[in-house]
Amino acid sequence: MAKGNIARKLQKPALIGTMLICYLFLYLPILHIGLGSVSKNYSFPYPPQLTWATFEKLAENTLYQTALGNSLLIGVLTALLSTLLACLATMGLLRHAGRHTVKFLILFIAPLFVAEVLLGLSSLIFNGLFLQLGGNLFSAILANTVHCFSYALLIIATQLYRYDWRLDDAAMVFGATPLRTFFEVTLPLIWPGLFGAFIVCFIMAFNNLEISFYLLGATPTLPSVAWGALRYGIKPELYALASGVNVVVFLVLGVMFVLMRTGAVRFGHKPERERSAI
Amino acid sequence: MYISLQGISKQYASVWAIDRVNMAIAKQEFVSLLGPSGSGKTTLLRVIAGLEKPTEGRVLIDGQDVTELPPHKRGVAMVFQEFLLFPHRTVRENLAFPLRMMKMPKAEMDERIDWALGILSLQGLDGRYPNQLSGGQQQRVALGRGLVGRPKVLLLDEPLANLDRELRQEMEVEIRRYQMKLGIPFIYVTHNQEEALSMSDRIAVVNKGHVEDFAERTTLYDKPKTAFIAQFVGRSNKFEGKVTAADGGSCTIDAGGLSLTASGNGGLKPGDAAFAFVKNEKVALAPEGFVGEDNSLPCTVRDVILRGAYAEYLLETSDGLGLVASRPRSGEGPSIGHAVVAHWASGDVDLYPVKPDLGLRR
Ligand SMILES: Nc1ncnc2c1ncn2[C@@H]1O[C@H](COP(=O)(O)OP(=O)(O)OP(=O)(O)O)[C@@H](O)[C@H]1O
Ligand SMILES: [Mg+2]
Repeated sequence: MAKGNIARKLQKPALIGTMLICYLFLYLPILHIGLGSVSKNYSFPYPPQLTWATFEKLAENTLYQTALGNSLLIGVLTALLSTLLACLATMGLLRHAGRHTVKFLILFIAPLFVAEVLLGLSSLIFNGLFLQLGGNLFSAILANTVHCFSYALLIIATQLYRYDWRLDDAAMVFGATPLRTFFEVTLPLIWPGLFGAFIVCFIMAFNNLEISFYLLGATPTLPSVAWGALRYGIKPELYALASGVNVVVFLVLGVMFVLMRTGAVRFGHKPERERSAI
Repeated sequence: MYISLQGISKQYASVWAIDRVNMAIAKQEFVSLLGPSGSGKTTLLRVIAGLEKPTEGRVLIDGQDVTELPPHKRGVAMVFQEFLLFPHRTVRENLAFPLRMMKMPKAEMDERIDWALGILSLQGLDGRYPNQLSGGQQQRVALGRGLVGRPKVLLLDEPLANLDRELRQEMEVEIRRYQMKLGIPFIYVTHNQEEALSMSDRIAVVNKGHVEDFAERTTLYDKPKTAFIAQFVGRSNKFEGKVTAADGGSCTIDAGGLSLTASGNGGLKPGDAAFAFVKNEKVALAPEGFVGEDNSLPCTVRDVILRGAYAEYLLETSDGLGLVASRPRSGEGPSIGHAVVAHWASGDVDLYPVKPDLGLRR
């Protein structure tokens, strides 16, 4: 009896403690870099002496700026392309493949199992030989899309799997063309899946080193610059850049949270919440 | 004819969901497709709507061959078995959908929507989302979405299945009223014979993908063309036996020791296996000892089931044969345990040859 009581009393602190440890594990490295980026002694900012020096250096360093721009470009275009292709592929798969669905699906997600290094290398050779594409941004975007497409397909498929295609039937019977049906009915109901795929693809392509490495030649991206920095010494700009990117990510998350809370943006259709709102 | 289905068949993998269906429907007509679950009713509607391409045959609407036309060019509307309201749209937006696709001016659109909300008693609900409505309300919105656009044909797939009896009967009357008012054909799918009988001009009985008969509702009820219709429409006593004697005017059947006389022979010869059906309400009851009509059978009342205006008497012969008689409840009927004589005219016996069941076409 007394034993049980103690266990119960300890339960809550134990839970909170575990949670704290998890959060520390996740965020300590990020906090360390963040602190470094605003400290005089950026490699060991304890105790911190606040300064914007690293950011000033970053503002002067055109290499890092170009790298950021290139990474953003690769991220956004790859994400757009893979999401679009994956959406079309999933719709075809779920609507028209019938009993062949699984076969097609396996072929679609097989690129997941090709090592990234291999994919980069083979894309370089193929794009150069047959598409007359040398190592450049465009070539890198294509190769990243090959990789991201499979992830996007999996994410979108989970959303579309639950979608009732007969809603499309209803729209068409009431006079909507197939294209109109997609934009009026299908898209508003599946966009959270597309959005999720876009975000994941963006992050993967933005951070990708292996694939881009082979296809970009001398064009810098953030991961390649950071990787290079390892060999030539970590510069203060890198600290500023890392924490800058983190701040942007957290800001975006924060804005989305506020928008969702106020109801300005809804992630898909939430029957239960709406029902309870009446 | 306004709508004409010519030799429509639809094959899914190995089964033929509908099999060589021919129907012609006039402009002002209310037609029901009546059949058991899985008989192909929904498939036939989807073919008419253009959501399914027939494997064989042609569909004509208003003189135009629409077989190759996609659904959005056909000008038909459908009330789906599963409603299929757009979940991200309010009631008003759902009702506006067909009108927007027609590019109707805003003012006229609002007028139409308000009309639909009015006739379907949905006022005050127009801002709600479908998942904030009860099943019955959703069904009415689905019906409204079918009506607002004044389509060339309205296809209704069991639209009243989710309503309680009172609301259903109310809606039956309403639906029939809109059909007459709009002057367009309604094709109404149901597996409920009462619904079909109460609303339709003509009824097509669908069985295993083919149309058994397409006839006026009274004809269908009074003179069922096939054994399937006799069994499916109305409530009947069914007997199975062998023809012992048949001439031009009458026919005698031996059904497990019970001798039945029927007027007309249904094309049967002595020795043929036959089904005989007698509608429950054609079975009259008389006191013990009564002899007279063509068919009379001494029975005991096993149970009495009250159905409001009439009562169903569950009878049993001394051989243990069961029988049901529906009688209006006027005065005192026989009570449980009483001996009675069940009797019916030979003209009320419907005879059909026993045919092997071929099942679905494969
Ligand atoms: N997409 C499909 N693929 C394969 N078979 C199908 C398909 N749709 C329907 N069927 C089959 O066709 C037959 C007729 O189906 P249908 O839905 O038309 O029946 P129904 O008369 O509407 O039945 P219910 O009253 O239960 O709605 C059934 O045997 C069904 O299994
Ligand atoms: Mg059906």
